Amino acid sequence: MTAAWTPVALVRDVPPLCVMPACVDGVELALWRSATGRLAAWADRCPHRGMRLSHGFVRGEALSCIYHGWSYGSDGHCLRIPAHPDLEPPEAIRVPVYHAVESGGVVWVATEAPDVPPPTVEGSPLRSLTVEGAVDWAAAGFSLSGPVARGHLSGIGVTILVQPLPNGRQVLHALAEAATPAALKEASRDLEALRRQAEEALA
Amino acid sequence: MTDPVRDEWYPVSLVSQLHHAARDTQLLGEPIRVTLRDGQPLVTASGRALPSQARYGHVWTSLGTPARPLFDIPEADQPGRRLVDVGLVRVKCSPLRAVENFLDIAHFPFVHTDILGAEPHTEVGRYDVAIRDEVDEVWATKVRFYQPQAAKSAEGGITTEYMYRVPAPTVSILYKTCPPRPGEWDVITLFVQPLTETLCEVWPWMALFDDVTPLTDLIHFQQTIFLQDRSILENQQPSLLPLDPGMEIPTRADLTSVAYRRWLKRRGYTYGAQLVAA
Repeated sequence: MTAAWTPVALVRDVPPLCVMPACVDGVELALWRSATGRLAAWADRCPHRGMRLSHGFVRGEALSCIYHGWSYGSDGHCLRIPAHPDLEPPEAIRVPVYHAVESGGVVWVATEAPDVPPPTVEGSPLRSLTVEGAVDWAAAGFSLSGPVARGHLSGIGVTILVQPLPNGRQVLHALAEAATPAALKEASRDLEALRRQAEEALA
Repeated sequence: MTDPVRDEWYPVSLVSQLHHAARDTQLLGEPIRVTLRDGQPLVTASGRALPSQARYGHVWTSLGTPARPLFDIPEADQPGRRLVDVGLVRVKCSPLRAVENFLDIAHFPFVHTDILGAEPHTEVGRYDVAIRDEVDEVWATKVRFYQPQAAKSAEGGITTEYMYRVPAPTVSILYKTCPPRPGEWDVITLFVQPLTETLCEVWPWMALFDDVTPLTDLIHFQQTIFLQDRSILENQQPSLLPLDPGMEIPTRADLTSVAYRRWLKRRGYTYGAQLVAA
């Protein structure tokens, strides 16, 4: 598989001190942002007892596991083991770190470093939504190029970024051109209609 | 031929809940039915009667031929103790992960915050762990931890002393400082019924010196604790307990877990476990 960027969230949905689960190339991730705004995408597993780090908590520049409070710094290495406050954690205790960048109001993640930056996208964040099944982009009047679908919803130009998940699910991250709040609400409803069509086609 | 998994005794019901209805449940992936006949427990699998007995508030059974009697809890028969049936909590995890979590104190400040532990009191001091060959049990002793509210009967923070005992692969018994009765230990057990390798029902049971606290409060306290644990247990990866070193990183605070995993491997108890070679 060639290294590629996958859209995983709208930037505005990952504020400082937030941690959330994400999935890229079938790898489960903990996506988080530090107090000063540093964004990171890590393997969603604490090396101590295998607990999901996406259930953890962010303090300052570190992500801590909710199970035993082991905390990890920005390079993924263990900073502190609360059960042994005087112990300097060995270098070997480390969470795998992936590539995460912000571009065009979107968080992009890659499990292997791509040669090129993420695609350039236009518009303001509209919303993200999970769909069971595949959207028929051509039928919806969209053109699809890589993970980027471009078209119109309620007459507004929108860009929809597709994040594939296992088992035929996907997350759509939508951006819209400038419009009135009422028109954006309509576009958002149309996006829900796209989801309903995809899920009804599946059933 | 002996079978280290099927020959064990397992808890499958509260005795007190069988008076009105039979319980249809599962053990090691096999459907079983638990009833009372003439006041005695009767457990059947596909019509076959299984060995069964009522003890410590629960019905115990085995799909195989138990080589040993059910483990003994002498405190259960000690006068003055209050025996508390807590009920069950179903958890989507390996039965062995549920036991291991029960043996762990380092998670108290983070999972049972302001109840069984609180920052900054996170340090786990040295304690003793042994596999006692003469009884074939795992024991951890001299375990001490600061607790904001160690038990329903505790007022304010105290340093609690614990002992942990694993007398069977899916059972753990905790002995802890008894605030109203210095010199005695409160007994809190975790009886785990393995439904499958990744699904279990957890039956806590207690033998306490506490004549004051209402039963509802005692049960609520334990349910609060176990529901907090469930949010951890259903989110560990892999879901099977790794018995070989390498997948997880233990520290000195995890010596009980290390001994438990070694003891399971030595007994060939692999239900709910994973080996590196597997």
